[in-house]
Amino acid sequence: MENSTSGASASQATGMANLRFGVYNQPTNVAGKSVQQTREQFSKIWGIPTDAVAYKGKEKLDENYVIQPGDNVEFHRRAGEKG
Amino acid sequence: MATKRFVVIGAGGVGTWLTAGLVRLLEWKFPGSGLIIVDGDNYEEKNKERQDFAKIGNKAVVKAHELTPQFQKTTIIPVPKWVVSDDFKGVSTGEDSPKIKASDLISEGDVVFAVVDNFAARKIIFDAASRLNNVDVFTGGNDDALFGSIYHYQKRDGVAITEHPSTFHPEYENAPDKNPGELSCQERSEIEGGTQLLATNMAVAALILGRVQKTIVLDQSPEETEIYFDLGVGKAEPYNRMVSHVSEHVTV
Repeated sequence: MENSTSGASASQATGMANLRFGVYNQPTNVAGKSVQQTREQFSKIWGIPTDAVAYKGKEKLDENYVIQPGDNVEFHRRAGEKG
Repeated sequence: MATKRFVVIGAGGVGTWLTAGLVRLLEWKFPGSGLIIVDGDNYEEKNKERQDFAKIGNKAVVKAHELTPQFQKTTIIPVPKWVVSDDFKGVSTGEDSPKIKASDLISEGDVVFAVVDNFAARKIIFDAASRLNNVDVFTGGNDDALFGSIYHYQKRDGVAITEHPSTFHPEYENAPDKNPGELSCQERSEIEGGTQLLATNMAVAALILGRVQKTIVLDQSPEETEIYFDLGVGKAEPYNRMVSHVSEHVTV
């Protein structure tokens, strides 16, 4: 799991990153914010659960990871179960 | 084109529609192929709201008997059994609910469709496939409304081309449900069917058929490995879960 030490501090990093959750995929100016702050910001808009893990590639991100410009951050969306 | 062996596990809400498409695809694109339909469950009258079948009875057997007279170039074989893990104790052919181990069901070169209604059974199927060298496994499911998703796991020459779905979906490792094949008849009868929708079941089947057309019939890249869709907001979104692509993205 990547932690906050692998990214720049919040004041150093600003700009656009790409966010994804299920059918939603949007570049947004969340660089410089933590995973936790970003989830809170988008939870009501996209319905991201409070316990949704964030990924960059297949690496899970720590709650305190500071999102960097150009990051592609995906919040876990549970797969369709029934059929 | 070479012949194929398609193995459809689950002939319910998604499986009935998917099977109708797959058998046509085999008949015209891969004549002489085999379609194996696996399900230990029975159709009930209440299933007609969103499942396509002509009579009451075991799902695998009923579907095979329906399709066989219509499609002469495809060998359709029913397997009226529940799929269980390799370490499941008590596999027997003489009981009321016969079972088959996943690794006895699927083999090299198979194209497998895991369209069961729980993560536990899907994981058993994916894990068995991960021990093969050449295999494709498609899965898909939905919620009780208009959301659903599909996933394509592929291996070639012993190398995983796309990631195992548990890489991105902890619900596979910590399944919130149980494999019906490993429950008693009484326990199975107590499982609620929910309030699934016909449109969402059919959308899952259609998306899987689209992926089969691209990656099996046309033999193109499975880069749209996972697709989420929401019929309520009219959106679908593909995710590239190819091993090479995912590795590139973790480089910081």
